[in-house]
Amino acid sequence: MKIKIDGREIECEKNKTILDICDENSIEIPKLCLIEDLKPEARCRLCIVEMNGKLATSCSIYPNEGCNILTDSQKVIKARKINMELLMAGHIRNCAVNGESNELCRLLDKLKIERIRFEPIRKYKQDLSESVIRDDNKCINCGKCIRACGEIMEVYAIDFAGKGHNEHVSPYSGHRLHDVACIKCGQCIAACPVGAIYEREHLYEVIKALKNKKKHVVVQTAPAIRAAIGEEFNMPAGSLVTGKMVAALRRCGFDRIFDTPLGADMTIMEEASEFLERVKKNGLFPMITTCCPSWIKFMEHFEHELIPNMSTCKSPHEMLGILTKTYYAEKSGINKKDIVVVSVMPCVAKKFESTRPELKSAVDYAITTREAAKIIRYFKIDFRNLPGEDFDNPLGIATGAGVMFGASGGVMEAALRTAYEFAANKPLKKLEFNQIRGMEGIKEGSIALNGKKINYAVAHGGKNIRRLLERKDKYHFIEMMACPGGCIGGGGQPLPLTKEILQKRMNAIYEEDSRLPIRKSHENPIVRTIYKEYLEHPLSKKAEKILHTRYYKRSEF
Amino acid sequence: MQILRKTELKAFKKAKRLGASGIIKILKQKGLVGRGGAAFPTGTKWEFALNTKANEKFVICNADEGEPGTFKDKFIIKYNPEALVEGILIAAYTIKARQAFIYLRGEYSYLENHLKRVVSKVLRKAKSSLKIGIIVGAGAYVCGEETAVIESIEGFRGQPYYKPPYPPTQGLYGEPTIINNVETFANVPQAILFNDWDKELRLYSLSGNLTNPGIYELPVGYSLAELIGLGKPKNKIKAVYFGCFGGCIPYSDIKLTPENVCGKNCAVGAFTIIAVDEKQSILDIAENIAKFYEHESCGKCTPCREGTKRICDIIRKIKSGKAGKDDLADLKELAENIQETSLCGLGQTATNHLLTALQYFKKEFEERIK
Repeated sequence: MKIKIDGREIECEKNKTILDICDENSIEIPKLCLIEDLKPEARCRLCIVEMNGKLATSCSIYPNEGCNILTDSQKVIKARKINMELLMAGHIRNCAVNGESNELCRLLDKLKIERIRFEPIRKYKQDLSESVIRDDNKCINCGKCIRACGEIMEVYAIDFAGKGHNEHVSPYSGHRLHDVACIKCGQCIAACPVGAIYEREHLYEVIKALKNKKKHVVVQTAPAIRAAIGEEFNMPAGSLVTGKMVAALRRCGFDRIFDTPLGADMTIMEEASEFLERVKKNGLFPMITTCCPSWIKFMEHFEHELIPNMSTCKSPHEMLGILTKTYYAEKSGINKKDIVVVSVMPCVAKKFESTRPELKSAVDYAITTREAAKIIRYFKIDFRNLPGEDFDNPLGIATGAGVMFGASGGVMEAALRTAYEFAANKPLKKLEFNQIRGMEGIKEGSIALNGKKINYAVAHGGKNIRRLLERKDKYHFIEMMACPGGCIGGGGQPLPLTKEILQKRMNAIYEEDSRLPIRKSHENPIVRTIYKEYLEHPLSKKAEKILHTRYYKRSEF
Repeated sequence: MQILRKTELKAFKKAKRLGASGIIKILKQKGLVGRGGAAFPTGTKWEFALNTKANEKFVICNADEGEPGTFKDKFIIKYNPEALVEGILIAAYTIKARQAFIYLRGEYSYLENHLKRVVSKVLRKAKSSLKIGIIVGAGAYVCGEETAVIESIEGFRGQPYYKPPYPPTQGLYGEPTIINNVETFANVPQAILFNDWDKELRLYSLSGNLTNPGIYELPVGYSLAELIGLGKPKNKIKAVYFGCFGGCIPYSDIKLTPENVCGKNCAVGAFTIIAVDEKQSILDIAENIAKFYEHESCGKCTPCREGTKRICDIIRKIKSGKAGKDDLADLKELAENIQETSLCGLGQTATNHLLTALQYFKKEFEERIK
């Protein structure tokens, strides 16, 4: 059908909204409350256009044959400006931290608003938790965090409370975030266009430790960081910057830079052995991976009958953390009290994880990718022009298997590579498990281990996790990642998190895997050395003590 | 009064004989339109729901009569609830719905038991397997909006969503739903049964500075002067408000037809007439209504959530005598914006009262300006 936009005749499909049609024809329309792939709510009223002389929200309206649409008439501009002013009226003015701009600031510039007639009136207390902080005084009630939490993650930790101008986002029953069933995935942070939700930052503590000469500061970087941190320095999405990242951290003054994928390799050794043990003893299936702290909390709140099914392995960065403070400390002769372990993670739930009492976490500060970029900027390092450098010994060699932990399906693929070779005692012919790669919500496959057919499945995103759990009994081995896309789409990653960007980051992760010389965890020479010198063998008493943990039942509310 | 005539389930029996298409045909013929305010032809609405294929269909009676100055639904629920239930029965029969709901306004919860008794009595008499649930709202004005009623019944926050899809094709739980006002349902059996049923008769809710307010059943196009005369005002009447959302006009003798009133930028809606005499200040009324909308805005869309609050602030500023000319201009601009860009009927009509007041009684605003 044909419609007219700004005087231009445009041929378009019938089941598309005005906004979609404008996007296709590169006509820019401001919007704040729309989430990719979800039904529009038409809350913010910024995407207003003029349709046949009447104002209409372009995100929710389907045009009729031959209708006349204006996207920049005087009427439209005036309406957008007033609505923007009204939005700003609910938003404290001095919101920008360190001059960082967010979606709202950019829109404010774009709409050329000089004067805001309405004074802000919001007076809410900050909602502090171990990892996620909410500041309702910056909130503009766009509802994106609520939809990310409810419709994408199916956690429903937050919703609107109050009505009229008293409407505000609130955790269940007016509690604070750390008192309710929040899984700390941080998808609300990623959704927020105004920076009203953010991670609890450990910048001050980390920089203080870096400047303290007595402390030996060790940093480890998660697999998903190398595929994303470049975006913080205006590099294109999916740039693989492993070398530059190491160089930048070294220039920040970190004494040792270790690679979390090594911890992932350790996890695989333990997890694959645990799985084979279960296969041998015909134990409890499905066994479910435990690398994702958000998934752990999700399970503890909503699916705690699965506790016996869970692998008992700690997450990779905790494994590497404890190895740093035991194995590395013994080897290098540094007092472990002087070692500060900082983990750069794509995740805000890791911040919560490191406060879990039963874990006795060896990681002192878990910082997000965004925080790491802030530290690099703080030391005024020209990230883009750095040379590539290598990780430090002795905990700096990782395999492709470990790197794949950054993308959904990677843990499973890595575990299968090792489990197969452990069980069959012969090399795997084809290393790639293509059926569990990619952005599809639930991926599954099967493999023969010692003549036994093993079904495995992978889910990412809370919604898919819930769908997969409905038919969990079919499977022997399940990988769960709370964030869509796995760690590459974590709540601590550079923003925005669109499907396109996630796909590019995922490609980068698999590129790194195919690039690395060693691609199976059990072939990692350092892993072998650690077992030989320190832990004896997987699931040994010592390994159980330092590399494994337990879980608790939590309330559903 | 026509609305109080008893039909004793005879209309339901006749409807069963007529069949679904017969019912819709007769409703269209007799010209029954929705009495909630939008005056949408009832037969057409039912036809949409009938023609949409679905496993489950629903009927909702909207008894969330929150509009200030409107009390006709309460009158029907009190004095002729049998007609209302029979209307619901006929609607459910037409579209083969197995479940109906009456969404009762929170403030009318004292009528719940009375209504429950009538519902079970009528259902027993009619030997119908229809289930009619009575759901009492929590007192939000916005829950009178049809999509908000649906959200509320489903157990979500009572907030409207944008249309289309309209409820007759996709309503409660995503299924086709007929949602009509109490007065509409109460008229259905009479329209079907009585040949002398007059489609022009409406229930006027008359209130304000009058000594004889109440419900008056009069035809559309009745003279405003005669109506006010029935109300026996003490002082000279200055203005007339058509409820809160309908806006106001200076008192003059006009015929109360939708066209006449719309010509004056007002909406006759559910035939609510609030008379205001000379002793009242329009500014006081504007503040009162603005306060009402500030309180009742659901908070979903920006212009209504933030705008109603700011409107209230500016009116207060004008009242206190501290406002300048800029404020008056801001007030008008903001009011127009809320009207044009809000999501639902509440926001779109929330500043009608103000815009018409500014049109007809600007003097009273200007007097208070520096």
